[in-house]
Amino acid sequence: MGKPLLKIKKLKVKGNGKEILKGVDFQIKKGEIQALLGPNASGKSTLVHTTLGNPKYKIVGGKIFFEAKDITKFPPEKRAKLGIAMAWQSPPAIKGLKLSQLLLEISKNAETTTLPPPSQPLAGPHSSRYLGESLLEREVNVDFSGGEKKIAELLQVICLCPKLVIFDEIDSGLDIKRLTNAAKIIKKELVNKKVSILLITHSGAILNFLRPNITNVMVDGKIICQEKDYKKVLKIIKKYGYEKCKKCKLLAG
Amino acid sequence: MAMKNVKSANYWQVDHKVRNIFEVKGITVLSSPRAWEKFDWARKWFEEKPKEGYFIWVKKQVDFPLVTCITIATPKISQNLNNLLVIEKGIKAKAIVTCNAAENKLCGKHRAKGKLILKDDVSLEYNHFHKWGEKDFVSPDYEFILGRNSQLLYTYQNLFPPENLQLKTTIYSNENSSSKLNFIINGLNSNIRIQDLIFLKGKSSQGIARLRLAGRENSQIEAISKIFAQAPSKGHLDCRGLLLDRTAKISLIPEIVCQNKDAQITHEASIGKISEEELTYLRMRGLSETEAIDLIVSGFLNI
Repeated sequence: MGKPLLKIKKLKVKGNGKEILKGVDFQIKKGEIQALLGPNASGKSTLVHTTLGNPKYKIVGGKIFFEAKDITKFPPEKRAKLGIAMAWQSPPAIKGLKLSQLLLEISKNAETTTLPPPSQPLAGPHSSRYLGESLLEREVNVDFSGGEKKIAELLQVICLCPKLVIFDEIDSGLDIKRLTNAAKIIKKELVNKKVSILLITHSGAILNFLRPNITNVMVDGKIICQEKDYKKVLKIIKKYGYEKCKKCKLLAG
Repeated sequence: MAMKNVKSANYWQVDHKVRNIFEVKGITVLSSPRAWEKFDWARKWFEEKPKEGYFIWVKKQVDFPLVTCITIATPKISQNLNNLLVIEKGIKAKAIVTCNAAENKLCGKHRAKGKLILKDDVSLEYNHFHKWGEKDFVSPDYEFILGRNSQLLYTYQNLFPPENLQLKTTIYSNENSSSKLNFIINGLNSNIRIQDLIFLKGKSSQGIARLRLAGRENSQIEAISKIFAQAPSKGHLDCRGLLLDRTAKISLIPEIVCQNKDAQITHEASIGKISEEELTYLRMRGLSETEAIDLIVSGFLNI
């Protein structure tokens, strides 16, 4: 499937003085869907935030490449403009700022990139179709329900016209109906447009809707397993837990 | 914004000169010195014989806003205004009041003493916009006297502060009247002192003051907010500051004074900084750090 879109090499990251990522190697190609599974505190969110350039995390080793360009030291906005987007697991509330206003700002910025323009005005009919007018007029993430947050996140990343979207626990806190709806939007607006997708998930619920080409397992700051059959991985994790992954002969390598 | 309406303003003054007065049926608009001469009754509301300023007397309901604009346009000009707005019983009105500097470095002075008389059952939405040059001195001192059952929604917005701003606002609330005050100020290279006082004099009167103060570089902001509950009444102070630069200082002093056992007054005050998480969130959406800060600040100042 060609060259990798995102390539992470031996990435070591510290947060609050503690080493969280201990040499992560990862890559994803254009149009690929991958999943990243792992127990709590294994470093999944750190990997995502570091990839997006969150200054909270300090890179102490390794490099991140996007379309063969070294972006290890790029600020978050530059990464976003290159086409990397992330849907947050717990996005912060921004008082006084309407969601519609934020979507317009994002769209304005996205238009200045070299990425192809959205197929239709995203902050307009797109957003109201998925969200309803009332949510658009509310302050960003202020008193949003879990489901509202996820849909608002999804819409923002679509507005960015991304090449790669990382979903951090999109399936947590969503009932089956909302999860189906979210997956439908992801398929229509991203998968069908060959946008690469990395799904960070605990439960694996989203994987039944968006079948990944590769499923990765992260334990203790390292990706210890990569497997094409996500069902196999889920089955083993369900049965034995993540501790078994370390020793699992079936999946390792 | 309000400036668009300058040509159709009810009262427009530049420096010391009245540029336009526009009267409609049911509204008397005069310069304050002229009103002093013409109406004996108005004299009691002016503390001294006025030299300049406006007099607006609303006697009938109108369905468009009252517009005033006071501008300084000459270097080192010093305005000393006495303004009087009287709204007769039962009228609902909206005012758009703009005071500004035509240029950035005029080193002008704008002093204004204003009285706003809301008779019984009046409802007034008063939007007060200031835009000044970086070397101006500005000192507005406004008193609102609220008749029985009257309502006031007052919003003061100053996104372009002068070098020195002394803003005083006093509310006298009679029986069953209510006032909501919003002060939105973006401090930048300026020394700002705000004093807002609400006297809840009448039974069942209510007063709320909300302050949103952003302290950018070289700004010193002191805000003293007080409510005096003198009757069975309700009041609340909501004072918030956002400190955006190391050279800025914000001081919030809310004070509640209760002189009636059936009154209920409360206050809250906080000063914070921009959340790193919010900043990163917006930067990950492609906004530069400056754009993200501006968006967060505009959200904070949006009441």
